[in-house]
Amino acid sequence: MSELQLLYNYLIVGALLFGIGLIGFLSRRNMIVMFLAAEMMLQGVSVSLVAWGRFHNDWGGQVLVVFIITVAACEAGIALALVLMLFHRAGKLDIAFWQNIRESNQPRFVDHELPADGEAVGQHWPKLTPSGIEPPAKEEELVHRIHV
Amino acid sequence: MLGQQWPYAVATLLFAAGMWLLLPRARPQGRPIGAGLVCAGLALLTLLVHFGLAVGVEGQPYWSWQAGLPHGGAAAVDIVFLVLAAVTVLSAVAAVTLPSPVYCAIWFGMTLLGTAALFLYQGAQFLALATVVVYAGAILVTFLFVLMLAHPEGDAYYDRLSWEAMLSACAGAVLVGILTMTTLQAFRDPGPTISTKAQSPQVAQARATGILASEHVASLGGQLFSSHLVSVEVAGTLLLVALVGAIAIVAQASGNRLDRMGHVGEMGRAEATGRAVGGPTHV
Amino acid sequence: MFDLDTLMVLVPALPLASAILTPLLGKFVLKEQSHLPTVISLALSCVLSLCILFQVVDLSAPHAPATENELGTGGPPPGSNPRHGQNAPGGQVGFEHVATLWTWASIPDAYAHRLDERIDPKAPDAPAAPAMSNFTIDITLRADPLTSIMLCMVTFISTLVAIYAKGYMHHDPGYWRFFTYVSLFVFSMTMLVSVSNFLLLYVFWEAVGLCSYLLVGFWYQKPEAAAAGKKAFLVNRVGDFGFALGLFLIWTTFGTLNFHDTPAVGGHAGVAGVLGQMRLADPALYQIGGTTALLIALALFIGACGKSAQFPLHVWLPDAMEGPTPVSALIHAATMVTAGVYMVTRCMPLFSLAPTALHVVSIIGCITAVMAGIIGITQNDLKRVLAYSTISQLGFMFIALGTGTLAGAVAGMFHLFTHAFFKALLFLGAGSVMHAMGGVVDMRRFSGLRRIMPITHATFWFGALALSGVIPFAGFWSKDAILAAVHHAGESSSLYQGCYYATVFAALLTSLYTFRAVFLTFFGPTHVPEEAGHHAHESPPSMTMPLIVLAICALVVGAYFELTHKFAHFLVRTPSLAFGPVYGHGLDDAFHANIALVGTVVALVGIGLAAYFYLGDRREIARVTQFMQSGWGLKLYQLSYNKFFLDPIYTFFIVWPLQLLAVVSSLVDQLVIDRIVNWFGIVPRAFGSVLRTLQTGMIQFYALAMVLGMLVLVGSLLVWSMSWQIG
Repeated sequence: MSELQLLYNYLIVGALLFGIGLIGFLSRRNMIVMFLAAEMMLQGVSVSLVAWGRFHNDWGGQVLVVFIITVAACEAGIALALVLMLFHRAGKLDIAFWQNIRESNQPRFVDHELPADGEAVGQHWPKLTPSGIEPPAKEEELVHRIHV
Repeated sequence: MLGQQWPYAVATLLFAAGMWLLLPRARPQGRPIGAGLVCAGLALLTLLVHFGLAVGVEGQPYWSWQAGLPHGGAAAVDIVFLVLAAVTVLSAVAAVTLPSPVYCAIWFGMTLLGTAALFLYQGAQFLALATVVVYAGAILVTFLFVLMLAHPEGDAYYDRLSWEAMLSACAGAVLVGILTMTTLQAFRDPGPTISTKAQSPQVAQARATGILASEHVASLGGQLFSSHLVSVEVAGTLLLVALVGAIAIVAQASGNRLDRMGHVGEMGRAEATGRAVGGPTHV
Repeated sequence: MFDLDTLMVLVPALPLASAILTPLLGKFVLKEQSHLPTVISLALSCVLSLCILFQVVDLSAPHAPATENELGTGGPPPGSNPRHGQNAPGGQVGFEHVATLWTWASIPDAYAHRLDERIDPKAPDAPAAPAMSNFTIDITLRADPLTSIMLCMVTFISTLVAIYAKGYMHHDPGYWRFFTYVSLFVFSMTMLVSVSNFLLLYVFWEAVGLCSYLLVGFWYQKPEAAAAGKKAFLVNRVGDFGFALGLFLIWTTFGTLNFHDTPAVGGHAGVAGVLGQMRLADPALYQIGGTTALLIALALFIGACGKSAQFPLHVWLPDAMEGPTPVSALIHAATMVTAGVYMVTRCMPLFSLAPTALHVVSIIGCITAVMAGIIGITQNDLKRVLAYSTISQLGFMFIALGTGTLAGAVAGMFHLFTHAFFKALLFLGAGSVMHAMGGVVDMRRFSGLRRIMPITHATFWFGALALSGVIPFAGFWSKDAILAAVHHAGESSSLYQGCYYATVFAALLTSLYTFRAVFLTFFGPTHVPEEAGHHAHESPPSMTMPLIVLAICALVVGAYFELTHKFAHFLVRTPSLAFGPVYGHGLDDAFHANIALVGTVVALVGIGLAAYFYLGDRREIARVTQFMQSGWGLKLYQLSYNKFFLDPIYTFFIVWPLQLLAVVSSLVDQLVIDRIVNWFGIVPRAFGSVLRTLQTGMIQFYALAMVLGMLVLVGSLLVWSMSWQIG
């Protein structure tokens, strides 16, 4: 491939990654998956940057990608902590749960149709077989565990 | 005007329709069709790119096999690149559309690997390694960690639902279409600067001793720690701050949880049941 | 000790210092001793005022070189001598000493005005291009006989009242506040009589009104007191509006607001003051149109009516009795209410240019004197009787001033002077009674107090005799002077002849209501209201001492000054009276035995009537019941008892229409203006309600909106670039 071909091929791959990530970010309801999609958009940008850097024989593209990776790592740490906290508050990862900032006269978004149960559509999740009887937890042990 | 660009519109439509069918919905019918449509759209796009389909301008037949892009053409199709790109993009589609977040994460890992390979193909060895190590090794594992932590039961209704699947699929696809079309439009008739950079042997020589040199990692390191020293330091500080911040957030959250659990514990004592205390508490 | 300038500044400055010091220290430092700054500063002011008086007496004596006029540097205008004008016969000289402290406002070359220019621009020999003059408002104080007399009177009475208030206001939670207001009032009042400029006169005219408002509403927790303060303030606004109009007219007519002349400085011509000696000495400078003169005089008189409680603006004064009694004595009997009399006296040259205005002054004075006297007969509230008496006596003064003669002006001022002493005495005596009776002023609820309160009783007799005009008390001499002046004016005018009879009738009423109050309060069986408890007693020395001093004054001031003619001969050195149209034929020092006899007989008849009705077995009830058997008697009694129905009339014709207007305005505001404003508010609200539907709260919706916006941008860029390529 010529250098020019290389460049626009990569640009289009980057655009595809960005677009697919965008679709995922816009439509998925699971906060972690949304976050994954956002990282995917970053990947698309990184691909374009590297391609441009090579074409222009410039280190700037790769240096910028290094920083993107750094920032993505930070972002992942913080965002996952936040997601975890939100999960603890809501009990679920559904982004639609957090719609309190809407105008007061706006109706709450609710799902008109819920999917059938996973089991019914042939989805199977591994489950641990319960074995034996749960031992009675000692009270001080519980308290201790709470405070660890 | 748009008359000449109709293949792009077709590719966009195919892609959008396929993504819509693939995305999780309450009644997930037609997912194989969706996969087919996405593949068809992507294939059409590949054809457009590699054979310069329908990028003619005024006065030329608006689709012609010969009217492709300069400096290349049908003969120059690189099988390796095509395979890598296909793996990357298809696994990205899978990562976005699969209902189970765990599979999403795994397919995202595949995308990362593909990207890393693409980097390597560009000669960016360090970035390829860094992507694998940092993204696939660290960030993705964190994702999975959180997923396991927050999602022990797995199957949740919101994983099998999308918000405005059609609208977002259309938005993303149109964006891709516009970007592709613009890129090809621009490179169909590149200016002298671009042509020189692409063809000149001097530039190729400079590239071989510069960004594609054998001591690539050393050169990148030199760049990072000379021209971008301050930025590196700032990035390091940012990492530290993020570390502290993440700990602070989680500590606060777990503090709340502890209080609540203490409350639950008292209730548990009062009820004297055998119900296990621990695990995520649903509010 | 001090020169005249310093004294003139110190007299108002000491009360001002006290008014600043007392609120700063009163609440936490002085507490029960809050009267100290006020009493000390007022006493010092009184001493300094006496110093001013003696210096002015020395300097204004006819043999002394009358060169104190500050005009000395300017040089007299051609053709006239400011000190010995053509209308100043018999070697009469005016005396004034003007001290300019600083310049408040200054506009260079503000107007064209010259000393020798005729006021009427259409006059044939008016200069074509008069020189430009500066418009300046100086803070100027003046010392002349009129001012020095007023200063002494004000500071003397206020010192005694402050001492009295120490006992009267004892244990009041607003102790320091009271003395702050009193100091502020004395500062304003001394400035009012000292300033030499109509604008500053207006400023302090308002300042004393403010102090009156604050002191009438001193017990603002009492709704009556608050309402009375408001009423006093509002009624005074009517008068002050007239006064302000008069000021505007004076400014447009004379081109200056100064009383005194301003000497020529630099390239600017001097300015003849409105009441300056230059203008007074030169009749040409007083040639103003008859209508203008009438309007100026009437406007000023409206102001005087408001401040001095003349019909029809007198309604505030009886209600002002809701204030503490020392305030009633100081402000609403002795000093502030006489500001109108002072102002009219000061402006006598302006009034004498308009004979119609003088007639109006006399007629209003007659109406007020007779009407207030009639009302006073039937009132049961001791302080209100005295308030109507004050109104009536102020009417006497205006009758005298309305004659427009020098004798009338002097008589009016003399009555003002003597009245201040005995009316303050009566009010303080009434306050003493109130103090002992636990705040009760209704004369039907106590009687026979002469055994409980001997000092108050004795001093009250002095005041009552003086007020009734019994020889040799002060009121006799001043009332005699008024009667003589009015009688003299009546020789040539049937109008003033009528005024004379009205004055005599009012004098009869005066002695009647005065002794009615005396007999009802101090005679008869001893009866004390339950509010007084079992400790009804004579007031403390701090209250009786001022009573005694004032009683002595009420006995001697009239006789001393009238028999020696010192007051009249000193007062006529005032520039306003010493020259020009007022001076006329000079003073008549003769004692008119026939008029004195009439006055005395009338007073004794009034006392006899009062004794017949109220002394002994109190025949009033029977007599009045008998009198009221006839329809006219009933009507007359009700007319008097209800104060000629003036308050209901004002309520019906002024208060209700205004309230109606307020209600209508409020409705228009609510139903029309607010609606219109609300309609304007609908537009953004409607716009917002459309935009609100976008705020779904779904995070992905916001992201989608961003993406769509970006797509629109990129798409439009694409379309634009392609069309550019093709085109």
